[in-house]
Amino acid sequence: MSEREQIHHYLKDLSKYLSRLDKLSADEVIREIESHILDALEIQEQNGQQSDAQAVLDGFGEPRELANQYVEHMLKGTPPPRGFKAIQTVKKGVTKSLYYSMGFFGFGISLFLIIIGLSKLFMPDLIGVWSATHGNSVIITFSEHAYSNSTEILGYWLIPIAILLGIGIARLTKKVLAVLKESLQ
Amino acid sequence: MTKQENSNEKWDVQLRKGTLELVILAALKERSLYGLELLKLLHSFETMKITEGTFYPLMDRLKRDELVSALWHQEGESRPRKYYQLAQKGEQKLELLTSRWRQSVEEIEYIIQNPGPKAIKKTGE
Repeated sequence: MSEREQIHHYLKDLSKYLSRLDKLSADEVIREIESHILDALEIQEQNGQQSDAQAVLDGFGEPRELANQYVEHMLKGTPPPRGFKAIQTVKKGVTKSLYYSMGFFGFGISLFLIIIGLSKLFMPDLIGVWSATHGNSVIITFSEHAYSNSTEILGYWLIPIAILLGIGIARLTKKVLAVLKESLQ
Repeated sequence: MTKQENSNEKWDVQLRKGTLELVILAALKERSLYGLELLKLLHSFETMKITEGTFYPLMDRLKRDELVSALWHQEGESRPRKYYQLAQKGEQKLELLTSRWRQSVEEIEYIIQNPGPKAIKKTGE
């Protein structure tokens, strides 16, 4: 690979990893680094050395590592809410599919709980939480017949508990999505 | 690299973590330099040989923190270069860091100069 190709290749990789930044910032980073590389090679030649593009590129490190240093602090904007520290690691690899499946999952559960709560209100006999004999399992069910050998627990308390839990999960999902969104391209 | 050199290097890296920002702000005081020029200046000191990969992202952060400003400038036939200079906020930060640095050096020096077995007494006490 010729020196020119080597440099071109490096900058192309770097630009790929910088794509999380807005185009203007990314272009400026590339332009500055390109200018540095070309200057450094010229200096080597002026000093009567054989120009060594690889040595110059080595100083910058792997394109991905270099890009990360630019991207990390640029994406710092809003810190995640307290207790969300673990998400910093997750954030780095956020993809659209993770974002949407997270939303689907979180809001899905929330909707399910709210529906259960409301159903209990309108169909008190059909839905409930039963504890099987000896407390080995808990069953949430739509059923005409109560499970044999089981006792209903919670009763009408299921309504506020399910609805509040549903709202809580929806709010939590919203917060998580807001944090993840920052990292989306 | 000998063992001694290696351990010197480790010490330099640790020390630089806290002082690099001060060094760069100080290097830009009343002058405007482009990246390669500034990096070469740092490289002329034994303890400040940082890589390009550390240097440029740091400059980018200083710029985002509005401590330095940058301007593309082309001289004659040469290719355009990005020149850095201190911003007003950077000048204030430089003053602050300089005085903290001097205080640290004085205090460390004092402790070094006052070995045991007597208990150490802070100056002015």
